[in-house]
Amino acid sequence: MITMRLGRAIVGLAAAATLALALDPASAADAPDRVLQPDKYTSDKGRALGQKYQAALRDLNTKIYHCMPWLDVKPEGIGFYKPKHLDGDVRYLSLNVNVDQQPAPEFTRLSVQDRVSSMFSRYVPHLLRSMATNDLLKDPNLEGFTVIASWLKAQPASGQQAVMETAAAFVPKALVANFLRGQATVAQLAEGAYVMAWDGETKLGAMKPRAWADDFVLTYKVAGYTPDPKINCN
Amino acid sequence: MYGKHWRSVVMGTALLLAGGCASGEEWQTWRSNTSHFASKEHYDFSMKNRSGAATVTRQDVALAQNQNWFGKAVTVDQGQILER
Repeated sequence: MITMRLGRAIVGLAAAATLALALDPASAADAPDRVLQPDKYTSDKGRALGQKYQAALRDLNTKIYHCMPWLDVKPEGIGFYKPKHLDGDVRYLSLNVNVDQQPAPEFTRLSVQDRVSSMFSRYVPHLLRSMATNDLLKDPNLEGFTVIASWLKAQPASGQQAVMETAAAFVPKALVANFLRGQATVAQLAEGAYVMAWDGETKLGAMKPRAWADDFVLTYKVAGYTPDPKINCN
Repeated sequence: MYGKHWRSVVMGTALLLAGGCASGEEWQTWRSNTSHFASKEHYDFSMKNRSGAATVTRQDVALAQNQNWFGKAVTVDQGQILER
């Protein structure tokens, strides 16, 4: 039921709806660098991970840029960050994105819990598949994965500032590995994740989203857009 | 004969003034939307895709995202969630 409501609620993505814009098509754009540079980590552990997987993180950035163009990775939005709510130098591979979508009234009318559940279902499982490489899953210095997604809560009224909602999902590495091996469902992934939400800058606290299979990311195509054939979007 | 012709001219002019001209509200709308294209990029895109299906590059998407944006949004800073 929620899935159907979400399908109706999250309507045309802003990028697709407003594509009456362009520059020279010959100038194929490179992905802007959104990876935290190794020298910016505050611990040796973070720095070592950043150096070791620099190419993998760049590939992740490129893949999202070309294959999921409605997602905008924030500056320094990819890196081996330490979740603030955890003690010690615990390192998670983190991905922080804005989802460029027009909020339909139906989506806005959902409870924040349901919006977080919808966005978790839509993006967290799919992005984890791109983030969690075999090498990372085997690396003893990596403890988990973080997916942070922000979206426009409601269409801002004229002259009003837009407010983004944000959900951050922290998933332990073992659970991600089980999920990728098919030993945990999307619902179990949500159960085992620690999820926090914000309304604009206001912390809403921890949430327990429900989650379900959502193949939007696999099936959605921006009208007229074909990813660079050099990029592997599978 | 001359009077009949003159009456036709007056009536035609009145009809044109009443029906063929924009109202004040319509002029206001026109003034606030002086261009058919939102931007130079919008114009370039339209000229590039004048016939057939539009082709969209990744840069087009990025531009659309930037130009559709509502200004600086209120959102949580990454530093509130993660540490370097």
